[in-house]
Amino acid sequence: MTQHEVVVAGLEHEFRSRGGAVRALDRIDLTIAPGELVTLAGPSGCGKSTLLRILAGLTQPTTGTVHVGADPVTAPGADRGVVFQRPTLYPWLDVRANVEIGLKLRGVPKDERRAIAERQLEVVGLADAADRRPYELSGGMQQRAQIARVLANDPDIILMDEPFGALDALTREKLQAELLDLWRRTGKTILFITHSVDEAVYLGSRVLVMSPRPGRIVFDEPARFVRGGELVPTDEVRTLAEFTDLTTRVREAINH
Amino acid sequence: MTRPTTADRARALLPHVVLLAVVLAAWTAVAASDLVSPSYLTPSPLEVWNAFVRANSDHPIGGGVDRIVRGEENYYLWEHLLASLQRIGLGLVFAVLVGIPLGLLMGVRAIGALLGPYVDFLRSIPPLAYIGFLVAWFGIYDTSKVWLLFLAAFPPIALATLNGVRGVRGDYLDAIRTLGAGRLSTVTQVVLPATLPDILSGLRVAVGFAWTTVVAAELVNGLPGIGGLAYLSGSQNKIALSVACIIVIGLTAIALDLLIRLAERRLAGWRGKD
Repeated sequence: MTQHEVVVAGLEHEFRSRGGAVRALDRIDLTIAPGELVTLAGPSGCGKSTLLRILAGLTQPTTGTVHVGADPVTAPGADRGVVFQRPTLYPWLDVRANVEIGLKLRGVPKDERRAIAERQLEVVGLADAADRRPYELSGGMQQRAQIARVLANDPDIILMDEPFGALDALTREKLQAELLDLWRRTGKTILFITHSVDEAVYLGSRVLVMSPRPGRIVFDEPARFVRGGELVPTDEVRTLAEFTDLTTRVREAINH
Repeated sequence: MTRPTTADRARALLPHVVLLAVVLAAWTAVAASDLVSPSYLTPSPLEVWNAFVRANSDHPIGGGVDRIVRGEENYYLWEHLLASLQRIGLGLVFAVLVGIPLGLLMGVRAIGALLGPYVDFLRSIPPLAYIGFLVAWFGIYDTSKVWLLFLAAFPPIALATLNGVRGVRGDYLDAIRTLGAGRLSTVTQVVLPATLPDILSGLRVAVGFAWTTVVAAELVNGLPGIGGLAYLSGSQNKIALSVACIIVIGLTAIALDLLIRLAERRLAGWRGKD
């Protein structure tokens, strides 16, 4: 699979509201290399989600462009999967059919899409829940299913909009570790939005910070924790001095 | 929780059986007394039952004439019922075929703003008001009745569909688009299934509405038809038969409602759980 880089150039976005135009994003230039896990942290309402929606093609920017490889982004597409903050699984379908739906849209034969769905459900640890309805699952399981649904589509880029924000602390940490493992295994390009500094530093191979409205990127640093030429195991990352150090600097950038 | 046993179920049923027995006994007592005269105005439950059985079988015409007739007005009672059900079935099929797409279209804001007032207007008209007009256009036979039922049934279906479409979660639509859906698959894969519970509620309203309308519409040239038979038998002083028809009409309405509720539970059991 050839992956493409994501190039955001001269991006600005304004919302029209009753009191006139509100500037949400201001002069964003950003390149995401294939295989990066970029985390974007910032205070709520700073425009993080707007940027994600523009990358997904769900919102058209006021000015500026987004390219994936040579192709301009003008509409949503299966090459850019989105994991939403609130699980968007369809309650009239069981979990398996939810995971299959993207493949169904592209006319993948029934047997094949079933096999893919089962495999992805296994990846996220939900093989036993395939026949259940989404509302029978816990919040963490629903987010796992949503991730499986995106993975089944095999997108180049996965956009994640605070997917663990509504989960309890324990589930959240578990899912973070699983996502990190998943990324290390698959090498997908991921943009992960969060308002948690810890989450941003723990997950990201590169950490961005966005300023309050109008959103601008005010911090951009790599966050690969390497020891002896190898990535530090996920369960040890939080104990590193570099981790604490980066966390402090990211927090300062947000509060600046 | 343990499963209810047969005995539990029988115990739960008991009050209903008792009440029904009391109602039938009171009815029999009133019919046997001279409270109402002439007494043919108050048929007993047994007489109503006999009229019901007679209407469903070949029987001598009576009055000393030695001729066997088929049911009432040459149709068995169940055939009268079936004729009415066929009329509302046909009217409802057209109402669904027009009402659902119309409701979906009206989900597009501009179209909804444009067409909404007309659908509201049509809904506010008591269907029977159309009858003279429809008879003039389509004659006194079934065509005018099916049109009437269509006109009665499609506004509630269209408006319920519209209501459903407006309630579809925005992120459901975002999600399917990012999974690769175009306009058409967005409608078939998300908008329609998400709207199904509302469509079924609309259908339930429409069926109730259509049933009251068909029975009334059959006052004009409504044979075969259960409403027509109820009216005719009353006007011919066959009160027992008329009461039998009324009971059949009521029970049928309840059965239809139950049927749709069952469909709701099977097809839209997820409602309120997302």
